[in-house]
Amino acid sequence: MTGHEERFDSVAAYALGALPPAEAAAIKEHLQTCALCREEYAYLRPAVTAVAYSAEACTDAGSGAVAVSPLLKSRIMKRVRSEAASREAARRIWPAYALAAACVAIAIVTGLTDLSLNRQNDAQRQTIADLAAPDARRHFFAGGEVVTHGGRIYIAMRNLPALPAGRVFQAWTLARGATRVAPSSTFAPGSGGVAVVALPEAATNIAAVAVSVEPYGGSSQPTTKPIAVVRI
Amino acid sequence: MERVRLRDADAFEALYDGYHRLVYGVAMRVLADPGAAEDVTQAVFLKVWSSPALFQGGSFGAWIARVARNRAVDLARSRSSHGESQLDETLVVEEDLEDTALANIDGERVRKALARLPVEQREPIELGFFGGATQDQIARQTGLPLGTVKTRIRTGLRRLRNALEDALTV
Repeated sequence: MTGHEERFDSVAAYALGALPPAEAAAIKEHLQTCALCREEYAYLRPAVTAVAYSAEACTDAGSGAVAVSPLLKSRIMKRVRSEAASREAARRIWPAYALAAACVAIAIVTGLTDLSLNRQNDAQRQTIADLAAPDARRHFFAGGEVVTHGGRIYIAMRNLPALPAGRVFQAWTLARGATRVAPSSTFAPGSGGVAVVALPEAATNIAAVAVSVEPYGGSSQPTTKPIAVVRI
Repeated sequence: MERVRLRDADAFEALYDGYHRLVYGVAMRVLADPGAAEDVTQAVFLKVWSSPALFQGGSFGAWIARVARNRAVDLARSRSSHGESQLDETLVVEEDLEDTALANIDGERVRKALARLPVEQREPIELGFFGGATQDQIARQTGLPLGTVKTRIRTGLRRLRNALEDALTV
């Protein structure tokens, strides 16, 4: 039996989900290049979906068939609605303290003062669009949040204390799979203790973000206990 | 689904109303335990809410049915190996080919079509899908040669597909 025939023979079991992981991976890869097997798979998949539908529960508990408890829906919807409400609240709060501050704070924290006004404006527009985006991911912590959108990553903090002379806040990032944090931007809060920091790292590579107080110029590893640690 | 991506709770509720019986039914069939089936249903829907990007297009029913089945099978396996329930946060999403949508389909209709399959074809299909058994395990459980199991799965699925042909939309 050739390699193809052997694989063709297993496409039905693959569609059903009845192959061990290694064999499933081999068939999946084979499907990318073999039109015949892909056709077979596309033909059989709806039948597998139909098998799933054969187990569909009913809503009428009195029918004797499998019925779903209505309490399950209220449990799930309670979580979903509460999360949707806090997102909505976060969206409403943003313009109040962060978006306005972003315009000022970005120039301070990312050292953009040497760039032309146009490029500053572009960066500000990008930041404001990211912070206000409905599909931005927000990771809250006491005193602020980490926002990721479009691969970019921001820390927004409010009510930051005034820093002692010669000290700055420093952001740290933990890359996926890394065991030590890497130094990121240093920053000082703007008026009202607000800071919005666009980190230079790509959000897709980052597993966690932290902030600590460090000597002016920043450190290579944190020298004080972080005031915020956020897993992404 | 587009509105769910924008975190619209009403749209999510409509999605739940449309698919919870499928998700719960599949989980219940795999686990035979209402509490565990509810846990799986909750985990699957909350994951859809928190990570709607996991669904990359095609038939949503086909996708969520597969996610529910994989999640339930994982839970059944971890229970049998550790004697305890365990739901990790990973979702197996192996589908990358668009699925043909099943229109006008309901559980009753498929149950009838499945019941008309010869038992020797229906049994390995159900063992594989709901029992989470691999084709080698099915061969061992039924005492049949592996080649026979493969043929029966394939023939059974083709028959089922033919029986439901008029419900398919491309």
